[in-house]
Amino acid sequence: MGAFEYRQALEIRNAFSLRGVRYLFIGKSGAILLGYPDTTQDADLFLDKSADNGRAIVAALGDLGFPLTEAQGHEIEEGKDFVQLRNGPFDLDLVFAPDGIERFDDAWARHVDVEGFPVCHPDDIIASKAAANRVKDRESLPRLRAFRDYWVARRGHPT
Amino acid sequence: MNLEARYDRDMGATSDIPADWLADFEAAAQRPLPLRMRYAFIHTHKPGLDEGLFRAFDTMAEYRDWCERTLPSWLGYGRV
Repeated sequence: MGAFEYRQALEIRNAFSLRGVRYLFIGKSGAILLGYPDTTQDADLFLDKSADNGRAIVAALGDLGFPLTEAQGHEIEEGKDFVQLRNGPFDLDLVFAPDGIERFDDAWARHVDVEGFPVCHPDDIIASKAAANRVKDRESLPRLRAFRDYWVARRGHPT
Repeated sequence: MNLEARYDRDMGATSDIPADWLADFEAAAQRPLPLRMRYAFIHTHKPGLDEGLFRAFDTMAEYRDWCERTLPSWLGYGRV
């Protein structure tokens, strides 16, 4: 398994768009799309937890080449909070209830479009990491908060 | 600060950002997205995480518990 690539992000975007999946990039992968310079290993997606979206997600994952069994597809459709996929063309984490964010619709209302990729607002990315309160998040938050301030200032004064 | 006030709060300046971080941010902002992603995404083996092909958790709390029980602490997935 190689590293996640831009080409694969495009494939997600296209497949999810075709199937009408409601999703946002979140976590460090979302921050990287916003311009945050750091490293990470996989893509994290925040998905709307609904029956319709669940069916659309399973269909889109099939399009992308994830060999889901019927039982695995059912688990996604029935609304788990977190699903980790290591059985496809790239690693993918599906987050349906990220810590620190109450509702998908709230995050969607604040989301940022980056060249066609729907991405959580940096404050939502920070809120989810702060609420998760893992060691690795605690270590990365000061720099991510500094990036957030840079991003907001730059957004107000685009070059 | 309440949640609503937090979004897009304009800091007005970036002067509080350490100079080396600011230089990183400025350099990244000059790179096109495909290049930013090439620099950002890496792959290393993560013991415990990379052993399974599919896992699903009813709640995030269950996932966090699983991480703390299963993964080596140096991966950083344990809660503070």
